[in-house]
Amino acid sequence: MTLYILSRKVKRQLVGVVFKFRGIMFCNRKTLTVIFFVFIFSLLFVGNASGKILFNDTIQQGDGYQINNIVIDVTEVFTGQEAATLRIYKGEDNDYIYDPFLSIDSSYKFDIEGEEVGITLLNVYSGVVPRVKLLITVTDDDFINSKTLGVINGGHNEAVFSGTPVLTINKVVDRNDIDVGDVIRVTVTVENRGDDDAIDVVFSEPQQEKFVLIDDILGSPGRIKVSVDDPVKKIYVYDLKATESGTFSLKPTTATFTNSVGDSFPQASSNRPSVIVDATEDLVNATLDVNTEFDKYTANRKETLSGTVRIKNTGTAAASAVTIKLIVPDGLEYAGSDASVEMISGIPTIYLDSFGVQQEKEIDFELKATEVGTYTVSTETSYLFNDGVNAQDQQVTSSSVTNKIYVTKGKYDYLFEQPLYVYIIPLIIIGAIAGWIIYRHKQYKF
Amino acid sequence: MLNILIVGNGQCGNRILDAINREAFGKKSRFGKYLSQQKYKSNVQTIAINTAVNDLKEMKFTKAKDRLHIPHLHGVGANRNVGKHVFEDNKTHIMRQIEERGNFDVCFVITSASGGTGSSFTPMLVEELKEKYDFPVYAVVVLPFREEGTLYLQNAAFCLRDIRESGADGIILADNQFLKQMGGNVESAYNGINDMVARRLLFLLDALDSEMMMVTDLGDFKTVMSGGAGLATIGFYEADTDIPVRTAIQKALSPSGLLFSSDVYDEASRAMIIIRGDRERLSIDEITTEIDKLSSSVGHVFKGIIVRDGELPQVLAVLTLESASELENLYAVAVDAIKHERAKKERVANDKELDRAFSQIDGMDPSY
Repeated sequence: MTLYILSRKVKRQLVGVVFKFRGIMFCNRKTLTVIFFVFIFSLLFVGNASGKILFNDTIQQGDGYQINNIVIDVTEVFTGQEAATLRIYKGEDNDYIYDPFLSIDSSYKFDIEGEEVGITLLNVYSGVVPRVKLLITVTDDDFINSKTLGVINGGHNEAVFSGTPVLTINKVVDRNDIDVGDVIRVTVTVENRGDDDAIDVVFSEPQQEKFVLIDDILGSPGRIKVSVDDPVKKIYVYDLKATESGTFSLKPTTATFTNSVGDSFPQASSNRPSVIVDATEDLVNATLDVNTEFDKYTANRKETLSGTVRIKNTGTAAASAVTIKLIVPDGLEYAGSDASVEMISGIPTIYLDSFGVQQEKEIDFELKATEVGTYTVSTETSYLFNDGVNAQDQQVTSSSVTNKIYVTKGKYDYLFEQPLYVYIIPLIIIGAIAGWIIYRHKQYKF
Repeated sequence: MLNILIVGNGQCGNRILDAINREAFGKKSRFGKYLSQQKYKSNVQTIAINTAVNDLKEMKFTKAKDRLHIPHLHGVGANRNVGKHVFEDNKTHIMRQIEERGNFDVCFVITSASGGTGSSFTPMLVEELKEKYDFPVYAVVVLPFREEGTLYLQNAAFCLRDIRESGADGIILADNQFLKQMGGNVESAYNGINDMVARRLLFLLDALDSEMMMVTDLGDFKTVMSGGAGLATIGFYEADTDIPVRTAIQKALSPSGLLFSSDVYDEASRAMIIIRGDRERLSIDEITTEIDKLSSSVGHVFKGIIVRDGELPQVLAVLTLESASELENLYAVAVDAIKHERAKKERVANDKELDRAFSQIDGMDPSY
């Protein structure tokens, strides 16, 4: 602001200099160029320093200018002294908070919600009702409520003020330490601790993981108003059932709202109550131990390996849709088994509709070693079971790998290592001999 | 290169022909036909003719196309009259088969004199060949064992006469009676005789078409065969150790080397001696001495020498006979056999005993 005032003085001096030189009509061209650039620079400088201009006009004595809940009243104008007294009120409080006395071209600064507001008295005018010309600037006007901005006839006594609703959302559970399968009641309340009503309040209640909604007692509140004077309101009341053990923080309830004049505010969030869920003995599961073994782990090429898949349910619930895939690597080849193994998409697969508690089963199969190398056979197991708590079946997948299988050269492998001609040439010779013998036999057969 | 036709008539002719074809493969094994080609120097065509299909089937080394079956039950049953009828009925077919094989320089017809088909077909075939072609036809005739039976003996007697009258350019005799000295069982004896005949004929064919140090050719052979009484025999010796060529010649001319029993120095009319072996082993002095010895008795002797490096001496002698005492003996026996057969037939014709037996049931019918 100081800079702004200085700039005005500079401008005036510059204007005086220009007029003084007009009398001479001529001045040095270099001097005029310097003057011009200094003028332009000073204008730019003034603009930057003043921020945004909110008001640059006249106000009658007794009237005021409102910025949100702040009203700048023009209390008295002293035309003789070219000065005026201003009083700055906050809200409906009749006690002013500032009362600056400004002479022409003097300024006063104060803060509103962190932004600096500047008031400069530009001029005073006499009349039946004296007036002042004020320049009101602010560093950033984003915070300003447009509905409360403007000249108030009658000053702050006639101003209409808006407040800031402050919603306090509280989420509570009736029990914090429960077992899996227990039901807790969640109650969400809201209270407006601000100074204005909250309008168009819309709550959002996310679904809680690891819990199942059992009963929604109040239902959705919809779009509501939460007044400052309202008592604590219950927004949601519902029951949740814990499905897994662990310590969980419930997701917060959130609300969007505006104040009485329609200004939007950041959404309010509730607290996140913590619930400890212990595992219970009622929860059951199926645990399938799948073990694959071979009769030998060193074999010659072309030899057959006999494998056995042993399945045992060591859990407390029956498994269903048991699928065991035998992932046979290249170099080994599935060579068949009993009827329990089917080829599905080229993969030998064991499928069992159900597998009872403590049930055991052995399934034999055979692999043929086709290439020399070291291999392992993987089994990928998947099954479903009902844990007694959830309506939906739980899926379990697991995999295991056998010991290494070493495939060495077969007894007659050297035969396959010979070049093709070693076989072709004798075959041609044998074929030729056979053809010759047949030809001669036909010649001599009577 | 000579074009030679060899016809094997009847069972005996077929077997000797098959033996020639086998020997031509140069392998003793029955698989010789799969392992090698026949080593005829000349263009040799062979035809086996028989009315008995089983005899043709027994042949192993003669191509199927060279086996000509003349359908008449399973042979003519040693009856030459039946055989002549069958030949007459199939003459056109047989001659067409021969004609299809081309033109020839010489023909050998091999047959047994005693059997049915061979003994009856051969004279007629020779006659047909001589009528139609101008090449010489020689019959190689195998005489039967004297104890084989009266039918065979009379067949032999008539067959030889018929062949001689058919216009054959010569008859080369091979006598089973003489050759049975080889011993062994019947099968091995027959096979041995067949092999002996086959080996001699092959040697002869080879010699007629070979480059020789001293030349004998088909013309010489014709001259030799035209001498004497039109009968000939072949002597042969193949050394299995390194012996002087003189000894080999002597053995070839000895009775053990001949196909037909004869005293060549006394009964031969003309001769052709072919000697084959390594140059070092063929002493010209020894050869000349032995040839001179033979020619002083026989008259003219054609001689041919074939040099084969590394081979032991082998000698073949073709001898035409002025007389054949053994043949006279054969005919003497044959005459007895003919008389015996005729007597039997007359006896049966006059025998009324059977008729008397049958007359006991005259006028009666069987009652069931």
